[in-house]
Amino acid sequence: MQLLLFNAFNGLIQGVFYALMALGLALILSLNSVINMAHGGFLVIGAYLAYTLAPYLGFWGALVAGPLGAAVIGLVVERFLVRPLYKRPDPLYTLLLTFGLALIIEDLTRTIWGAQGLPFQIPDILNSSVSSVLFFITGYRVLVVGITLLVVLGLWAMLRYTRLGIRIRAGTLDLETVSSLGVNIYLLRALNFALGCLLAGLAGVLAAGILGLTPPMGSSLIMPSFVAIIVGGVGSLVGAVLGGLIIGVAAGITTTYYPAASDAVIYLIMLVVLVLRPRGLLGQEGLFE
Amino acid sequence: MSTVLEAKGVEAYYGKSHILHGVSLSVAEREIVTVLGRNGAGKTTTMRALMGLTPPRGGSVTMLGSDVTRWPSYRIARLGVGYVPEGRKIFGHLTVLENLMVSEARPGKWNLDRVFELFPRLGERKGQLGRQLSGGEQEMLAIARPLLLNPRIMLLDEPSQGLAPLVVQEVMQVVRTMRDEGLSVLLVEQNVPLSLGVADRAYILDDGKVVYSGTAAELSANEELVERLAGATAQH
Repeated sequence: MQLLLFNAFNGLIQGVFYALMALGLALILSLNSVINMAHGGFLVIGAYLAYTLAPYLGFWGALVAGPLGAAVIGLVVERFLVRPLYKRPDPLYTLLLTFGLALIIEDLTRTIWGAQGLPFQIPDILNSSVSSVLFFITGYRVLVVGITLLVVLGLWAMLRYTRLGIRIRAGTLDLETVSSLGVNIYLLRALNFALGCLLAGLAGVLAAGILGLTPPMGSSLIMPSFVAIIVGGVGSLVGAVLGGLIIGVAAGITTTYYPAASDAVIYLIMLVVLVLRPRGLLGQEGLFE
Repeated sequence: MSTVLEAKGVEAYYGKSHILHGVSLSVAEREIVTVLGRNGAGKTTTMRALMGLTPPRGGSVTMLGSDVTRWPSYRIARLGVGYVPEGRKIFGHLTVLENLMVSEARPGKWNLDRVFELFPRLGERKGQLGRQLSGGEQEMLAIARPLLLNPRIMLLDEPSQGLAPLVVQEVMQVVRTMRDEGLSVLLVEQNVPLSLGVADRAYILDDGKVVYSGTAAELSANEELVERLAGATAQH
């Protein structure tokens, strides 16, 4: 029983990373119409920036600076590489662009920081267990879940109540009309892209504290994150979070009984959802609902 | 009267198909000008070209003293041009209030309070989703959104489409109100008698060219032409 709980909780943590990644992917997919294959790259950027800055800023400073760095690099990428391709209606162009970018970021990381895994130091206080029975629930893992919860709630409130958020939601439906109402849609899309990269960077820093840093850490997280979007329903942000948590926990539970199938179960869930509910769990009501 | 909008020889394409063949038209300050023509004559494309949504590939568009031919849509809007698209284009998954908040509000006499004063129904329903509104309410919302930009020019693309006659009268009353407030209006319509009733001047488009221009009174007097126009439209 404890093993099951242990694996399920591990799966939940993994699911949290999927959910953060899937949220950013879904934002960028909906408003920028970009299937961002480089999203794992922004996760890596966030993680390694935090690793490099931690000696100067401390853990908490790095936790903020890493994701911000990923967002700034996201802004630059959007401005100079993605924006020129918006005029081409075929999503293949940006897919190929970001696919290439993902390879470049991974190799650059390898060149700068080395191919070996690096440990990301977290404060000792966060390393201790919250309870002796549930030894696997460390302070850090509680922090990961807590931060993600806050970020998801914050994002929801931003989309619901701020002018920027309302415009992002409107733009996912009809960007042209948003533009004709005087909104600078280039800026809107740039901010949205950066926001997605910020979430990826945050996932990177949080994941680094548990999994350590390796150059391919992003590419190993991106496919399950796409699956999370499909399971949750394309266009639904709540669905992206839900999808991420579901496949994470499912993979964790599977590890208890049949570890070799823990990766396959993710795709099995996707298959079942696609057969029973092709639009995903929450995809039917349309964008951002 | 000074000219606030002038299009000269505008050429527009959708992909490879050539839609507008040198359209020229102008709107003066506080003038209501209507553009008539059959389905597929290029009326909506003309509006889209003026608004920068289908950027002209030839010719020029000048609005409020600026050459806006190559401008993106949002810059044209910020210059003081409101646009009510064909089919209203309400954000159905946003509330009425959220729909209004999308607009880049510019200082001026049009603010949320004034808009709700002009369209009390929208005020009553500001928490409802756009898709829950009736056609008439959606049209009001589509007009209210760009009003918050405090525009000096308003482009309206078939505001009467699919609305009950009583509601259409209401919309036309709003158009008159806008003119009384100092706006210039370019009105694309299928409903010929309706638009001639409110407009000062009229253009007729056919096959992407201006085939007639004159005062609304002259055109109304030309029964044969009105008949032909009206007969060619689906609704009348």
